[in-house]
Amino acid sequence: MKARSTRFAPALVAAIAGTAIFGLGEKVQARSQVAVGVTETIASFNPYADSISMGYGIWCQVYGCLGIYDYEKGDYVGMLAERWEVDQADKNVWTFHLRRGLKRQNDGRELSAEDVVHSINRINTDPQSKQKQNVGPIKEVIAVDQYTVKIITKQPTASLLEFLFDRVLITAKDLYDKHGARDADRRYPWGWGPYKLKELVIGQRIVLEKDTSHPAVKPHNPDTLIFTIMREPEQRVTALINNEIQIAQFIPPHLAERVGQSQNAVLQPTNAVEIMFLAMSPKFKPWDNVKLRQAVCYAIDRDLIIKNVLKSQAQRLDGPIGPGQYGYDAEFAKKELFIAYDPNKARELVKASGYNGEPVFLDTPVGRYINDKEITEAMIPMLNAVGINARLRTPEWATLWADVQRGRTPFYYMGRGSVVDASVALSQYFETGGSPRIGISDAKIDQTLAAERVSFDPVERKKALNAAFKAIQDAAPACFMWRHHMLYGESKTIEHKPTPSGRIFGTEIVVKQ
Amino acid sequence: MLRYLLRRIIATIPVIVLISLLVFLLIHAAPGDPATLLLSDEASPEDIADARRRWGLDQPVYVQYLHFLANIAVGDLGMSFRYADPVIGLIGERLPATIELAVVSMLIAIVIGIPLGVWAGAKPNSWADNLGSVFGFFGISMPSFWLGIMLILIVSGYFNLLPSSGRSTYGIAQGFETGFYITQSLFSGNTTAAWDGIKYIIMPAIALGTGMMGLVMRVTRSSVLEIMSEDYVRTARAKGLGENTVLWRHVLRNALVPVITVVGLELGTLLSGSIIVETVFAWPGSGSLLISAIQSRDYPLITGTVLTYTIAFVIINFAIDVLYALIDPRIRFGK
Repeated sequence: MKARSTRFAPALVAAIAGTAIFGLGEKVQARSQVAVGVTETIASFNPYADSISMGYGIWCQVYGCLGIYDYEKGDYVGMLAERWEVDQADKNVWTFHLRRGLKRQNDGRELSAEDVVHSINRINTDPQSKQKQNVGPIKEVIAVDQYTVKIITKQPTASLLEFLFDRVLITAKDLYDKHGARDADRRYPWGWGPYKLKELVIGQRIVLEKDTSHPAVKPHNPDTLIFTIMREPEQRVTALINNEIQIAQFIPPHLAERVGQSQNAVLQPTNAVEIMFLAMSPKFKPWDNVKLRQAVCYAIDRDLIIKNVLKSQAQRLDGPIGPGQYGYDAEFAKKELFIAYDPNKARELVKASGYNGEPVFLDTPVGRYINDKEITEAMIPMLNAVGINARLRTPEWATLWADVQRGRTPFYYMGRGSVVDASVALSQYFETGGSPRIGISDAKIDQTLAAERVSFDPVERKKALNAAFKAIQDAAPACFMWRHHMLYGESKTIEHKPTPSGRIFGTEIVVKQ
Repeated sequence: MLRYLLRRIIATIPVIVLISLLVFLLIHAAPGDPATLLLSDEASPEDIADARRRWGLDQPVYVQYLHFLANIAVGDLGMSFRYADPVIGLIGERLPATIELAVVSMLIAIVIGIPLGVWAGAKPNSWADNLGSVFGFFGISMPSFWLGIMLILIVSGYFNLLPSSGRSTYGIAQGFETGFYITQSLFSGNTTAAWDGIKYIIMPAIALGTGMMGLVMRVTRSSVLEIMSEDYVRTARAKGLGENTVLWRHVLRNALVPVITVVGLELGTLLSGSIIVETVFAWPGSGSLLISAIQSRDYPLITGTVLTYTIAFVIINFAIDVLYALIDPRIRFGK
């Protein structure tokens, strides 16, 4: 008892001294201010000059997006757009109806279809734009009247909302025309979102202020929302526990306990929309052999890795996607897509493939994904145990990613983020001509992916997507591993449910009274 | 003097050109493509090719370098790929934070290191010497990133005495166009903002300055030890001067020449050392800017930042040479 008192005495003295000297004891955040410790920074005042999920989330609540994906409903919901429909006669024509009466921050100008046309055109033509992929399927965009926008696609694209929602930011045409891009972005960042941009210090913080006149805003939402750049997890956890911030993004498993033990904060897990997988490019031997690729999928004990390496902070993937992602069917996944850990079957497949024992190199990033190196280190003996002579390589991320993009990496562990509707990601990785990243060309995969793109009826489309999942699973150009649980540390002074996409909207935060 | 200055300035030009060439070649030789790193996962090969064309990366490297040199000649370091802003402006926005951090770290190192060194050197093998040496070795051997993390854990995490990271509290340090938060707020009489800035800078400055403090202490100690045995010190004592007068007026002034050399060289090291410390403390300076530029292969920003560091090194060395002559009149320019 005495020893304990002695040990805590300096802490007490220091705490009192700290309160007296630095006044931190009085630094209780105003109830209407919420600070978020984030890992990335917005790189520019130009909302189109960057393509990171945090940037989309921030600009979306300042300028406004056409719509967002609602993870609770498992469907798309409108934001600036009220409703939308596809022309039944011509599946290339989409019509979006904008909300009426939405007033712009600061001057009250109403949203117009011309703003949507301007924004889509600017994404395509702005020399600083890094978001062209978001409007890639669009051939033409027309303002029919003040509240109606017609979007014509190059080919029928059932997954168009995946491209547009949460992504296409609507900026004002009149401000751009009057002040030019630079001044409009820097001096007049006025939009139709629920929060106004108050301050942007690139590399340091982004401050948003509630627009009390916005219909989506409630009194209990924070008046001020501050995104503070804190790249190191230790900073975020310490700042959260000290009440410097109220939300800490991405707590790694090894720091989760510290947050859990804190009196000020709680852990909030959510499943990431990033799917993790092992890719095997059939362009390279011995991965041109489907049996060997399938053997890899049976050889990895995913549950064991999740339990021991990821401390249960991940959810196994049965097929390319999991719960909450568009098209997921739990029954179908369990019956048709689940691959059990079966080293005996893996050994048989290795034998049947005629693999001669030549070394294969598994490339992994280090520190890019949670415990990536540790995970792949655990995979190597599992592969060796079934007769695959696998060895680990750890190139620097920039090198690995450039090689993957160019189709130069035969075997690698990687994640694909922003998978809400899997259509785009699957086409990119597995369809003939999609991208060179895996380089598979499989008639069944191509056929099923093409079919899902033209299935506009939601029920039919989900069936078509699942058929594509099955075709990919059978051809095994990749073994789908898991989705990480993204852990958020959150102050007990607020209520907020993190979303799988990582967006943090002020309107989704409740400051407790 | 003027001729000497002119000669030194002219001599720096080839150094800068050579460094720029080296950095340019090295960064272009490194694997990784800015377009694939900066565009999103969904970007198509056409989008990537378009970005490469816009950034001039489809040109041969020598053409890119000549273009870069031509731009430098008119004071333009190019446009950052990532930030879509002029490099010179980006560095200008971030450099004050790094300079302020380096200067405070240097002050900590000098204010603690020199008295400790003098104290230890004046009484060799005493308890004061041993204590000073412990401090010195601690400072030299402690990696700044580790010390930084420990400070965050203990000072912020355990005792909650100081903010764990960042540079200022929102709403306090506003409208400081120069970027020197503490300096400007002190000059403008805004003590709240100055105090806020000081709270944020203490831990990163200690983490960065401790190594230099150790070195300054060790060099001062050995320099004082050497000078204490000089004839003129014995003469001063023989004249009946007090020991403190001998030490602080006669010994210290002469002992400072090597110390200034070390401080000068270390100031350059502080600038480059800040790269790691800025990352640990989320300090928004040019060091963290360089790290993010390297990670995204932002060629113009990398080259521009490294060139800025090079010029800073050259200026510091130049200033040290001038200081030598002011401290020791026996040293003459150009001789």
